[in-house]
This record gives sequence, C-alpha cells and structure tokens, in this order.
Amino acid sequence: MVQTPREKSDQSAIKSHRWLELAVPFFSFGGGLLAIVFLITGAPADFRISILGCVIASWVLAYLAWIRPKKDIVALSTPIYSFIFIAVPTDTSSAVILELLYAVSLTVLLVRLKYRFGKPGTAVYGGRELADPLKTYIEHTRESSSGISPETAHLATLAFVRFAEGEYKNSAQFSGTAAGQLEDTGSNFCLTRAFKIVKDHAALLDQSLPRPLTYRKFFPDDAFLLAKPTDPSHDQDTEFYTALDNALLLVFSAAWNKSERDRPHLLACQAFAQKLMSSQ
Amino acid sequence: MKIGTIDVKVSIVAIAVFVFFTLLLLVASLSSAEVRSQLIWLIPALFMLLVIPVALNYMSRSQYADMEPIYEAEAKTVRIKLINENMVGKPVRVEGVVERVYFQFLNRPQYLVADRSGAISVKMFTSPDEDVKVDDVVEVLGQVIRRYILTGDPVINCVSIRKIKKP
Repeated sequence: MVQTPREKSDQSAIKSHRWLELAVPFFSFGGGLLAIVFLITGAPADFRISILGCVIASWVLAYLAWIRPKKDIVALSTPIYSFIFIAVPTDTSSAVILELLYAVSLTVLLVRLKYRFGKPGTAVYGGRELADPLKTYIEHTRESSSGISPETAHLATLAFVRFAEGEYKNSAQFSGTAAGQLEDTGSNFCLTRAFKIVKDHAALLDQSLPRPLTYRKFFPDDAFLLAKPTDPSHDQDTEFYTALDNALLLVFSAAWNKSERDRPHLLACQAFAQKLMSSQ
Repeated sequence: MKIGTIDVKVSIVAIAVFVFFTLLLLVASLSSAEVRSQLIWLIPALFMLLVIPVALNYMSRSQYADMEPIYEAEAKTVRIKLINENMVGKPVRVEGVVERVYFQFLNRPQYLVADRSGAISVKMFTSPDEDVKVDDVVEVLGQVIRRYILTGDPVINCVSIRKIKKP
C-alpha cells in the first residue's frame, strides 16, 4: 500500500517520539550511574555533570507532555525541579540517592503520561493546514461544493463557526439564509439539506429543546457525500445526531473549498470539526 | 451547619487539622508551663483553623448561590460532544452520568460526567449542595473553561450540580 506524505511524516513523528520516550530513563538513570562512578572512583570532575542527565530528561518529559492534547501539569513542571537540583548544593552521597529517586520518579511520570494523557500530537490542530481525517473528507467532497457562490460559502463559514462557538441563534440564521440562496439557484440539494439540518438543530439548541418526533434527514442518495454512514439499525437519537454531524461537516467542506479567505476562521474551529469526524 | 440560607460544609481535611492541633496543644499545655502561659492567643488561633475554612466556604457558596439563577436563565442545554475550545466562556447545561469523583474530601470536587456523546471534566471550586456519587444522573450548570486557564482541553467550571431522576 502506497503511503501519503502525511502518513510518512506521521510515522517519522511516532518514531522520534519513541526515541524521546526512551531518552527520559536513559538520561536520568545514565546521570545516576555516572554519579555512582564518580563516587566510587573519586573522580575530580564536577559532580553536577551527572545531574545534567536528570535536567535533560526533565526537559524531554516536559516536551512530551506539552505535545499532548491533555496537558499533564506534573510532567510539565519537572524542569523546575531539575533546576532546583542544580541550584541547591548537596553532598555527593545524598545527591546520588536523590538523583536515582528522581530518575525513578521521571520514569513513573513517563509511564503515567503515556497511559493517562493520550497519544502525542492528536490535538495539535488549528495550525496552518487541515489534518486527516478531515482533510481527506474535504478533498472527497470538493466536487459537491462546485456551483455555490462565494457569498453562500461565506455564510457556510459563519454558520459553522457560530455553531462551534455555541452561538446557535446566529448559526440558525446564517444556515437559513444559505439554504434559501441555494434553493433559489436550484442546485446542490444535498448541501441545501445540510444547511437546513444545521438550522433546525441550532434553533433547537438555542431554545434548549429536546429532539422532536419528526426531523429532517439526508436521503439515501446523499450517502456518498456524508462523513459518517447512517445505519438503519441505529435508534432515532443516534440517527438525529449523526445527521447533525454530517450536515456540519458538509457545511465545513463547502466553506473550506469555496471561501479561501475564511480558512483562518475555519482552522480555528478545526479541533471541533475533527471531533465531529472521529466521534461515534 | 446553616448560616442564613447557606448550608456551610467544612472539609474533612480542615477538621483533621483542627483536631490534630487541638490534641497537640492539649499535650503541650499539660507538659509545659510556658505553653500554658501562651494559651490566651493559642486558643483563638486554634479556633481560627476552623473559622477561616467555614468563612471561606460560606463566602464561596453564597456567591455560587447568587450565580445559579443567572446560569439557569442563560445556559443552553448541549450534548457533551458539542463542547469545544471555541465555546470558552459560554454558560452551558449538560445532563449525564457521573463516572468518577475526585477531591471531594477537599471540598473542591471534580467529576467526570458522560452522556451518550462523550465525557467531560466538571470542576467545582466549592462544595456542592448535594452529595453526588458515581452513577448518579446529574444536571450540571457551568461555564466552559480551559483546564489550565490558557491551555488544555475544555472543561466545565461548575456552578451547580444536582441529581436528576433516572429515566
């Protein structure tokens, strides 16, 4: 299977993160072992050289904590403690014990980070470009947004961004206007339905109302343009909310493909769009 | 303990600190005449260990009680999945099941509340009106904030959490 450039760069990032994870125990315990060597041989070197291992390991751990979507404040603050290590003078034997205990703590924190704070980089969205799987979906639906005017595309941006911000009344208004414009041109029925679905949901959310008994949905013919497949076996709640996810993503796609000047605003909402893509 | 309409709760930690220093003072005053001579300020200081947490809890709870009607009026009911970083500062209402409870003993409880769409951390900076436990179905009113003020995932700064009847 041929890998895309993004997949290649993702794999190299995973590899480098693995090396960095190994670097934490390597440097911290390495420093500790060096300290033991200094102690045994009575080498005249400055003892703080061995402590540098713990300092480097702390910074690497802090970096690994920083690139995760869920930030671990304990791992992030380890460089401060490592600085105290260097700044506070201690005698050699107690420093060795302290250093080894610190190396154990860093390793425990690394394990905790790996298992409790998710994979690195999974939420580094909102940069300068779209990330997968949203990017693939936008490319897949590029053709579907052909024929919509720049004005409608701008309304799509406003509808999506306001929805992401929780400004449901505004989002309903913009979606309604965009749906009206598309209906006037008599084109792009699937996108028109998407705008109407966003409008209905936004209006309900604005009033804090529950799911109505009857609601708008996509047609089976629209399926190839939808990000999330609808299964007939799904219950009504799932069907109702999946329709909203699909509608929002289709609106996002139209905005992205047809309103280039709005892309910075859409990138600011990318995390939300990715959440819609990846959620059940 | 009720002060006016506010039900003040003192954390177990504050009580433990008070009890510890009471015992310490008792032992010290029995064994030392010098300590006994200082009791005139040591006893009020000891009671301050209890009075200060009570006063702080009263102030925070009365402030939260004032904010609750405002949030009741302004908050929109949303599914947890819709809460995202672009909603920071927005008042929201979510309904879900409590999956975890942390730091209840500190009177600063943190809950993990989940609905069918996802889960979110709900942080409360005072004690709640009700004793909320794991598996309780609750309604949360609060404001979307970032976990570490400027960074981190969105969480709810809870103004009120109350149990609702299971469907």
